[in-house]
Amino acid sequence: MSNSDQILDDVTKKEYEYGFYTEVESDRAPKGLNEDIIRLISTKKNEPEWMLEWRLDAYRKWLEMTEPTWLKPKYEKPNFQDITYYAAPKKKKGPDSLDEVDPELLKTFEKLGISLDEQKRLTGVAMDVVVDSVSVATTFKKTLRELGIIFCSMSEAIQEHPELVKKYLGTVVPKSDNFYAALNSAVFTDGSFCYIPKGVKCPMELSTYFRINEAGTGQFERTLVVADAGSYVSYLEGCTAPQRDENQLHAAVVELVALDDAEIKYSTVQNWYPGDANGKGGVYNFVTKRGICEKNAKISWTQVETGSAVTWKYPSCILKGDNSIGEFYSVAVTNNHQQADTGTKMIHLGKNTKSTIISKGICAGSSDGSYRGLVKIGPRAHNARNFSQCDSLLMGDGCGSHTFPYIETQNKTAKIEHEATTSKIGEDQIFYCNQRGIGTEEAVALIVNGYAKEVLNKLPMEFAVEAQKLLAISLEGSVG
Amino acid sequence: MEEFKDKLESNYIVFENELNGEADTAVHGMRRDAFRNFEKLGFPTKRNEEWKYTNLKPILKADYKLFPKREDHIEFKDVKRFFLNEIDSYKVVFINGVYSSWLSETTHQGYDVCTFGNALRKYPEAIDGYFNKVAKTDEQAMVSLNTAFASEGAFIRVPKNKVVDKPIQIIFFNTSDDREIMVQPRNLIILEQGAKAEIIERHQSLTDTPVLTNSVSEVSVGANAELHYYKLQNDVHTSSLIDNTWINQYRDSVAKFSTFSFGGRLTRNNLHFAMKDENCLTYMNGVTILDENQHVDHHTVADHLVPHCESHELYKGIYDDTSTGVFNGKINVHKDAQKTNAFQQNDNILLSDRATVDTKPQLEIYADDVACSHGCTVGQLDEEALFYMKSRGIADKEARALLMYAFASYALSEVGIRELKQKVNMLIAKKLGVDLDFEL
Amino acid sequence: MLDIKNLHASIEEKDILKGINLQVKPGEVHAIMGPNGSGKSTLSSVIAGREDYEVTDGSIDFLGENVLDLSPEERAQLGIFLSFQYPIEIPGVSVSNFLKTSINEIRKAKGEEPMGAADLLKKMREKLKVLEMDKAFLSRSLNEGFSGGEKKRNEIFQMAMLEPKLAILDETDSGLDIDALRIVAQGVNKFRNKDNAVVVITHYQRLLDYIVPDVVHVLMDGKIVKTGDKNLALELEDKGYDWIKKEVASL
Repeated sequence: MSNSDQILDDVTKKEYEYGFYTEVESDRAPKGLNEDIIRLISTKKNEPEWMLEWRLDAYRKWLEMTEPTWLKPKYEKPNFQDITYYAAPKKKKGPDSLDEVDPELLKTFEKLGISLDEQKRLTGVAMDVVVDSVSVATTFKKTLRELGIIFCSMSEAIQEHPELVKKYLGTVVPKSDNFYAALNSAVFTDGSFCYIPKGVKCPMELSTYFRINEAGTGQFERTLVVADAGSYVSYLEGCTAPQRDENQLHAAVVELVALDDAEIKYSTVQNWYPGDANGKGGVYNFVTKRGICEKNAKISWTQVETGSAVTWKYPSCILKGDNSIGEFYSVAVTNNHQQADTGTKMIHLGKNTKSTIISKGICAGSSDGSYRGLVKIGPRAHNARNFSQCDSLLMGDGCGSHTFPYIETQNKTAKIEHEATTSKIGEDQIFYCNQRGIGTEEAVALIVNGYAKEVLNKLPMEFAVEAQKLLAISLEGSVG
Repeated sequence: MEEFKDKLESNYIVFENELNGEADTAVHGMRRDAFRNFEKLGFPTKRNEEWKYTNLKPILKADYKLFPKREDHIEFKDVKRFFLNEIDSYKVVFINGVYSSWLSETTHQGYDVCTFGNALRKYPEAIDGYFNKVAKTDEQAMVSLNTAFASEGAFIRVPKNKVVDKPIQIIFFNTSDDREIMVQPRNLIILEQGAKAEIIERHQSLTDTPVLTNSVSEVSVGANAELHYYKLQNDVHTSSLIDNTWINQYRDSVAKFSTFSFGGRLTRNNLHFAMKDENCLTYMNGVTILDENQHVDHHTVADHLVPHCESHELYKGIYDDTSTGVFNGKINVHKDAQKTNAFQQNDNILLSDRATVDTKPQLEIYADDVACSHGCTVGQLDEEALFYMKSRGIADKEARALLMYAFASYALSEVGIRELKQKVNMLIAKKLGVDLDFEL
Repeated sequence: MLDIKNLHASIEEKDILKGINLQVKPGEVHAIMGPNGSGKSTLSSVIAGREDYEVTDGSIDFLGENVLDLSPEERAQLGIFLSFQYPIEIPGVSVSNFLKTSINEIRKAKGEEPMGAADLLKKMREKLKVLEMDKAFLSRSLNEGFSGGEKKRNEIFQMAMLEPKLAILDETDSGLDIDALRIVAQGVNKFRNKDNAVVVITHYQRLLDYIVPDVVHVLMDGKIVKTGDKNLALELEDKGYDWIKKEVASL
């Protein structure tokens, strides 16, 4: 039994001691949100008192906040009393064979070129494969432990490294930062925690891939990555395979702390369920991601966004330390009725800080894609530099593409360049490919991947290959 | 702010009472609706996304007089320098919002260059066709407020295929020794099919008593017509201007607007183009040079409603001392507006550590077969170029000024009146504090 | 191999081709010459299947198959290659990646296995050598930032790689200096064999010094008005097109 399962088991046995709700099932809290539910979550997770207080404080702040209205995407507001905030991360009983898995999903796997074993693992079929991966994960865990790297679930971290969690949690994304961050702070159930000690270069990409036991941690994930002075880590988030998650709302928070001379590279391939071709169903992905850079530190966000019905996400960098660097590379694809409002904030506070923004939007079908970004140069940020390039590629006349860059400069030594273009996918380009025997669908994939190359190149190798295929799949049937 | 709003309400009642007989007209109905709308909206605050970077609060604190006393004793020699004198021109001149026939030179020969008040009485059909129809009031508190009190301004109507033979200067002088005043000019400019005109607009205070101008211009550029419009903003440091200019363009028309912002305390320019028919060509250029605690906010919209139109926008800004600049350029390409070409560029130089610039170039695109781009930069003078010039014996100050002039001058390319270009050049030189021979 | 009968085509309701008849047999080189606006480029576009043009009458058979019903990629997969007059830029897509995709799509259509990376690279190197091109060329973005000469060479390089049955060279000589012209011609001549055919579309005779045609056609106002041997090209070079115009007018 793994560590977190052990904890879980311990907690669930205590269940009725507190007796908030007699109708409580063993692994699921009743629908709705109030202070008692938060207490329940905290108790079930056997959290220390300070953590509960932290949650309650966030909840009280959330009560006073209103949902943002400035967003471009239009969506039906979630009913927060109709959501279950705690479902124990017990392993669901998986299907017995691949025959029981949604054939649509299998088709996508095939296109992605995911091996049969991998398919089984991702859909939670054959236990032996899972066991296999677990053993793989454990091998890595040993290597990591030898280097002093902590990589575990958030629940585990709260239990075992409370001093670190206490020190950094909520320092980059304060509880009251925004509506969904406050909600997340109040009710998050799990997530990842990662600490890289001073001077350590993490020798491998850290990824949720290696901690399969924590899959399905639900709607309110909380991730905290701390890179201590002079350390380096590359973190991969999300499953590259399409998750058929029926949860309506995902409100995650990711905090990155890069101390002096540290570097964090954070890559995401997001492919939540986007709803069907008629815009029915699909995930609302409202995520707050932010990192803080101390002296000479660097944070690099790379994201490939192809999923979700509504995406609302601005991975940001606070460049607090002198000479710190922030980067944002993004490809966002929207098709059918998807809506994405994504971009970044680069807050330059320290001297000689640099930021780069490369955003590539691709819109097809009846979708809407927006780039929204802020570059702010504070009065003490001497010699700050920013370069932004935001391009949009349109396919079909039913989609919309929008660019909202905010540039605020309070220092005369700043150098900022922002460029944006919007254009159509070239019919000439498609014909040229056709003439060389390449079909239209393949041609679109080729052209789009070329267009997004600058960003895809920033992804770790194995991620990049899958991301490329994902782009092609997301745009199937969008031209011709 | 609330206080001033209350005051406007009582003033509006006074205004209505003084209309004798006009209260039942269609125009007045629109005024009444507009005032109601203003009451509903109130003055825009920084919480309004469109006013995020411009705070009206400080300038709304003053106790403005809405109906200032008539002043007509201004001598031409005292205000001559505010006119473009090197060329012959028509002039429509107002003092404290009241028409000055003494300083004006109007015409009805071939086309109408006269006052809005005059047109209200004489050309009701023109008023009905355009007044309150080009500008949108629904979300626009300041336009609504102007409409509520709209009674005077310039009226220009150029019939089919007529070309106005000389430029038209529209100047609003303000002079008050004691009380702060608020004026709300309303201009209506109609170019019918194939017509052509050149217009220069200016708001100018002659004293240091604070003035708040809330101006609305409605402009219709008919099929195949061509309009060149220049806004020269170099007011004293106590005057504020909120300019709302709305332009409708029709098939094959050309509209070129240049805005030169060098003076004033707070200036807000709302410039809104709607391309109603195919093949319109639009130019928006701006040069902004600010110092002390001046504030200029350029809000432009290019609304591409139909296919095959083209818009070009270039705004250059130089900011010194504690001045603040805002640029918010919006390009809207509606669904069906295929083959749109829209380009936008905003470049800024900050000269002081305390100057700030907030820029937000914005694209909203709902058609796929388009070529749109925007770019913006914030930076400094090129040190290499500076060094090169100095090594050729040019003094530091002159070298800087020359580079700044070079930076700004790109936005002067669409100025078609040579004498005006010279005047603008001189104003730029003066603002940059140098003597440059622009005849070169 | 290629059999065009009474081909009529129009764009935006304007007739461009007004009854073209053309037969090309394996091993042959045909030159199609004509003044600007005579319909030369339209003919190549229609054969390749560009959808902007509407075929209003006539037929195009290739290897006994009516290609008018086929999509551009199906025609390419059958072995029709068009060297573009203005090759298109595709940013971010490298020459090698593009060619790999192209070759393997064509192989797939024929039911063949995709070509392995090593074989592909070997073949690319070989062909590059013929065209005197550097291998750094393979990793550049397709046609992006290429000089006019590089673009044309890239077209011929792709032809050499794809080994089509029929290669149509649309104004391949335009924008080439004399050295580049020689290299391109060398590439084409190396490609030629008894099983394939080349149609050279050109305004000038210059290229035909290097790629010697078996048949020369003169296209004027959407029709082939004269057909002869290579000497016809020389005559055109010498006397221009006016004499043919007169000859046609007198008929």
